Amino acid sequence: MPKVTYISHDGAERQVELPAGWTLMQGATLNGIDGIEGECGGSCGCATCHVYVDERFADKLAPMSEVEDEMLDCTESPREANSRLGCQIKATPEIDGIIVRLPEAQS
Amino acid sequence: MFRFDPYSPVMDADPFPFYKTLRDEYPCFWSEEAGMWVYSRYADIVTALNDWETYSSAKGNLVDELPNRAGSTLGTTDPPRHDRLRALIQKAVTKRALDHIIEPARQSARKHLDALAGEKSFDFVNAFSSKVTVDLLFYLFDMPAEGQQTVRDKAVLMVQTDPKTRKKAPEHIAAYDWMVDYAAELIETRKKNPGQDLLSNFIAAEIDGEKLHDREVQMTITTLIMAGIESLSGFMGVMGLNLADHGDARRALVADPALIPDAMEESLRYNTSAQRFRRCLTKDQEVHGQQMKAGDFVMLAYGSGNRDERQFENPDVYDIARKPRGHLGFGGGVHACLGTAIARLACKTAFEEFLTRYPEFERVEQQLPWVPSSNFRSPMRLELAVG
Ligand code: HEM
Ligand code: FES
Repeated sequence: MPKVTYISHDGAERQVELPAGWTLMQGATLNGIDGIEGECGGSCGCATCHVYVDERFADKLAPMSEVEDEMLDCTESPREANSRLGCQIKATPEIDGIIVRLPEAQS
Repeated sequence: MFRFDPYSPVMDADPFPFYKTLRDEYPCFWSEEAGMWVYSRYADIVTALNDWETYSSAKGNLVDELPNRAGSTLGTTDPPRHDRLRALIQKAVTKRALDHIIEPARQSARKHLDALAGEKSFDFVNAFSSKVTVDLLFYLFDMPAEGQQTVRDKAVLMVQTDPKTRKKAPEHIAAYDWMVDYAAELIETRKKNPGQDLLSNFIAAEIDGEKLHDREVQMTITTLIMAGIESLSGFMGVMGLNLADHGDARRALVADPALIPDAMEESLRYNTSAQRFRRCLTKDQEVHGQQMKAGDFVMLAYGSGNRDERQFENPDVYDIARKPRGHLGFGGGVHACLGTAIARLACKTAFEEFLTRYPEFERVEQQLPWVPSSNFRSPMRLELAVG
């Protein structure tokens, strides 16, 4: 099962294993990792699953959709070049070991 | 032999013991009565929701699908078309875009509470929750005020199924046909006289320079009215029931109304109103030793996943401090409910007002009349004693 590391805004680090195909948003909410809310249930409709993806994994991710791009303009914490929505990133063997940082606020 | 019959009135009233048997003994079960497979464990449902390529909605998502919806609405198309359609509406229904509905919702709640002044008991569903819901949806879609009650009655009827024939009865189909015609008329008037509302924007929208298909517009708007009205008032009925049955929780909310959103999330988990939806397999699958074929339907029992002890500790306890993140009350994945922010704001506002007026209440009937439906679970009537 692919591993994902979440680094909270205060620096706390958690690594979890996700069933293949589950999203980074689900990995956080289902493992009690605060700092990701996921209000819309993963339909790319709320921008409360905002993450900053570690540069080393940037080119391993599938490109973002137009909707994700638009939604990322609505994040609470500033959007950066490495901003993505956690519900749009699926855990796959290609991104095993991925590291994401969580923003200060989601809503 | 264990059976799972989503048409049985016993199931409408209390599906939870059946779900437990499913989860523990038959996690991938063929239901003869439904003519489809049933997933009941949280993890299996989430896996299916994440994989729309395998679990398609394009053959319909209602357990008993209504005519002409498959392939033509948000809930019944697959990406990429689905995502394009959804993007047209999504922005108008995010939390930030919906501040404007709070005041109208509050005024509506107050008006209907005022009308109850002096009553010792009343029906929460018909005198309060459905009235507030209809007011709100009519405001949101800017629909003509006359005929509110009829629209609501039809929305409730069209989601029902006949427990004996295990099908939609003629009156259910008639209610649906009525709603389709109602939507068609609405679209015609809106085309002549466009406004700033969500429906006008959807009607005028284009994808890649092409107008949406007429059937798409008509069916999506029919579904928005149905989903908005029936789902929201049904859920509020369930939440009213939970607060009647759990005095401690209710008193905690009265003391601190900021807890209402937590109670709402726990109600969505504990007494899920949208119990079951379906998907269609696009390829053969083997799950828990069962061989399923492309073209088979799979029922996703959200109400069961939400009570799965593999995911939620003490799942049969209603605990408003639980904060059940990841619950399936709104489904999940690409098809997760479009109306989550509307529903959350409406519920919060309605219950703030209701609990201020009635901090103490209890239910009058022990046996409730449940909506006969293979999809939804909510009381048709909830008589509350308040005095
Ligand atoms: C508490 C109230 C509500 C509940 C419990 C609820 C529940 C759900 C669920 C479980 C689904 C997923 C269906 C599936 O898996 O196939 C869904 C989808 C949907 N809901 Fe809701 N709903 C509620 C309120 C609303 C409101 C107020 C609206 C609109 C105004 C709405 C519009 C929709 C639409 C359009 C879809 C299809 C979304 C898509 O497939 O992209 N719902 N709802
Ligand atoms: S969970 Fe809402 S956008 Fe990701």
